Amino acid sequence: MALGKIKADTLEHSTAGSLDTKFVVEGSAKAHASYAGSGTSFSSSFNCSSAVDNGAGKYSVNLSSALSATAQVTPIGSCNVNGDSSTTATTTIVVSTSAYKTNTSNDQGSFTDAAGVFSVLMGDLA
Amino acid sequence: MTVTPEFQGTHLFDRLCWAKENLEPHQSDYRVVYEDSVDECAKILVPDPNWMACALQGGILPPVQVYWELAKDEAQPDFKKHTRGYLLHNTEPVEAMTEEQALEYLIMKDCPQHVWRDWDSGNKPKLVICRKEQLPATREWRNAWKISEDLATDETVAA
Repeated sequence: MALGKIKADTLEHSTAGSLDTKFVVEGSAKAHASYAGSGTSFSSSFNCSSAVDNGAGKYSVNLSSALSATAQVTPIGSCNVNGDSSTTATTTIVVSTSAYKTNTSNDQGSFTDAAGVFSVLMGDLA
Repeated sequence: MTVTPEFQGTHLFDRLCWAKENLEPHQSDYRVVYEDSVDECAKILVPDPNWMACALQGGILPPVQVYWELAKDEAQPDFKKHTRGYLLHNTEPVEAMTEEQALEYLIMKDCPQHVWRDWDSGNKPKLVICRKEQLPATREWRNAWKISEDLATDETVAA
C-alpha cells in the first residue's frame, strides 16, 4: 500500500449523484474476525490482537486499534452450523472500546461450539 | 526484509492496513491459559496472526502502557468517548519483539490486570503460557477446564 493520500470530502458520479466521504470512512467495517469455534484459531482477521475461548460457545475478540466509544457501535456475528448439532443463534455484544464478545448457542438456548465464528464491527475509531 | 516506514504520528488503523498488505501472518504455537474467576472455567487466549506479525516486525504497535491509559479513561464513570486516542497514534511505536516478548505484551494488553499483576501469588497458578499441543485434544467438559496445579512443561496444562 502506497502511503500517498487522496483527500476529498465528496465523491460525485456523473448521473447517480454524490456521496460525502465521511459515510465511506465512518461506514466501513473497523474489524473482522473469522475463527474456528473449537480452539479459536484465526483463519482471517483484521484489527484484532487476540481471540479468547471463554468456554463452550463463548468467545471474545480483542482489538488492536480501539473504538472511540462503545455506544453507536454495531457488531455483527454469524456462525457455521456443526455437522452433528444445530448451532443456530449468534449473539455479538461490545464489552469495551477494545473488545467484543460473541456467543453461539443451539436451538435449546445452550451455548454450543460452532464450526466457525465470524464477526465484523462497525463504528468510529479512537 | 520488509522495512517498516516511520509510523509515529500515523493512525494505528493505517499501520495495520500496511501490515496486512506487507507482512506474512505468523501463527503462534503458543496459547495463554488464565483463570479470572474461581466460578468460571479456564480461558484460552489465542494471538492473532496479523497482530503477531506486527509485533515481530517492530515499529507498528504502540507501547502497551497506552492501552492502560485508555482503559483508565474508559473506567471513569462519566466516560462517553475517548479523547486521548492520539496516544495510540502519536506515541513512539515499540521495537521488534521476540515471540516471547510479544506474548508478554499481549498478556498485559488483553488479560485482566488482576490476573497477570500477581500471577504467581495465591495457592494455585492463575496464568500459564503453553504450547497448543498441551491443551486437551478434544472439547469434552470444556466448561470445567481448570489450570492444572502440576505445571510440568511436558504435560497437558489445562485438564
